[in-house]
Amino acid sequence: MELGNHSRVGIVGGGPAGSMTAFFLMDLAKRIDLNIECDIFEPRNFSLTGPPGCNMCGGVVSESLVQKLAISGIPIPSDLLVDTIDAYTLHSDQGHVRIGAVSEGARIACIFRGAGPRGAEAQKPIPWRSLDGYLLDLAQQGGVNLIAERVKTIDWHDQRPRITLGNGQSFTYDLLVGAVGLNGSGISMFENLQFGYKPPRYTKAYIAELYFGSREVEQRLGQSMHIFLLNIPRLKFLALTPKGPYATLVVLGENIDQPMLEQIFQAPEMVRCLPPGWKVPVQTCLCQPRIHIGPPRQPYGDRIALVGDCSSSRLYKDGIGAAFKLAKACAYTAVVHGISKSDFQRFFAPTCHELDWDNRLGRIMFAMDSLQRPFPKLQATLLDCVRREQDDPDSPKRLSAALWDTFTGSASYRTILANAVHPSVIRDYLRTFARMACKMTTV
Amino acid sequence: MLFRRGKASLGKSFQDGETIVKQHDPPGSMYIILEGRVQIWVDDGDKEPFLVAVLGKDNVFGSVALYDGSSRISTARAIGRVRVLPVDKRGFLQWLGEDPTFALRIMLKMAERIRTLIAQLVSLRREVRELRQKVGRTRP
Repeated sequence: MELGNHSRVGIVGGGPAGSMTAFFLMDLAKRIDLNIECDIFEPRNFSLTGPPGCNMCGGVVSESLVQKLAISGIPIPSDLLVDTIDAYTLHSDQGHVRIGAVSEGARIACIFRGAGPRGAEAQKPIPWRSLDGYLLDLAQQGGVNLIAERVKTIDWHDQRPRITLGNGQSFTYDLLVGAVGLNGSGISMFENLQFGYKPPRYTKAYIAELYFGSREVEQRLGQSMHIFLLNIPRLKFLALTPKGPYATLVVLGENIDQPMLEQIFQAPEMVRCLPPGWKVPVQTCLCQPRIHIGPPRQPYGDRIALVGDCSSSRLYKDGIGAAFKLAKACAYTAVVHGISKSDFQRFFAPTCHELDWDNRLGRIMFAMDSLQRPFPKLQATLLDCVRREQDDPDSPKRLSAALWDTFTGSASYRTILANAVHPSVIRDYLRTFARMACKMTTV
Repeated sequence: MLFRRGKASLGKSFQDGETIVKQHDPPGSMYIILEGRVQIWVDDGDKEPFLVAVLGKDNVFGSVALYDGSSRISTARAIGRVRVLPVDKRGFLQWLGEDPTFALRIMLKMAERIRTLIAQLVSLRREVRELRQKVGRTRP
């Protein structure tokens, strides 16, 4: 089972995973003189602000991913970048510490998936472009046909996948790629095709674009992402990211509800980063997207593959990086090897498994973090270790690198864990803890 | 209402005429051109260095050093304002281990350059042949 001349590929979903799969499929096919047709189904208009044009995401991309994209033929133009970040600031009730970019080329780009938050359209022209819109344009430039309609049903017809639209029009394909994310109804259409696929486990995040104004963003946040290690039950990750005149609030955890958000906005560490007297506006652009926390089952079959969040992804971070990896693996398998279940099992599944296994290590790391949250002394030790690493120009800065990579998604959890449990880091941590304990006893 | 806080950008910027990499320097990063154009010069010990290529957006230079570890074989200089994305040699080799297809596009860019260089070589050979014929005709 292979793609031949005039084979047809249908992709459901024009977010980064769908657009990049389309781009790589067309690019690779051209390299081997294969003439294929590719349709991408995406009803959204990414040039719109607010929810209609947005794919709900924190909107940070590591510089290493920007480099990988550029090498792969997807250069990220400047007008996509709303801001760049060169530091992280860790806040806890034991103080705060700033971690500078661990190396040249380790900065972070801040982008908007759509045309920006609700209300941004007041400024004309809008001074940034949508990442999703740019990637979809790039796929179209490569010869992909955009069908701006919502898919109504997917079924099998003569052992080939068939897409039917609301107006009754239907399309049969040699290969169907699902890039439907976790938030729409598309995922159940693929589950109902009964090829062994089970969607990944998910939880809900809370993302809000808080309007501070450019001057306040500069004064309160600077060029740094602010991470808050607060001891609030069920809270796993809390960050405030500067993005032009906005600060993007990202809350990850279990059952994020109003009381948890009130606790967050009242925490002294958070209040220090908010403009004086600032209150959450009623019209804030916010969303509660589903985020990936567990592996899917068999995201491929004969003539079918799933990429992006509805397939394997990274735990809590770097969804675009994971989408890039899977898009490339899916396109390479389909064009070079074949489109049968066994082809995908042999050449596409290893990339999925690599992400799934790495997430297991990520879960261990987040569990370790949750264990130390209730103990102020452990948090103070962590901050002190990082502070001393930052002050020492000769330090290999392993702990800082581990924290940097955890927040940016620049490295795998395996690399992060290797840095975090390095003997020199553990030795330094224990020494610092003992010194702080002695100081407390002496006082 | 001011939307942007300043010009957000990644990579490194160079002004007109500024040297990005210098011939004979130790090997380091490879560069992807994000904005502007870059001249590639080679100094063969003659009076003046000679221009071998002018590269534009999305082109790659400094990639030879990634593979053979020898010193830089040419000098890259900015034409106008240039922004490049440096790719660290060690990082790139790690990526190759994870995903060999990263090498594909670099190989394609190198193949394009080899094609151009061969065309230049053919044209030079033709010019030399014509000059020889002219010299042969004028010699008594």
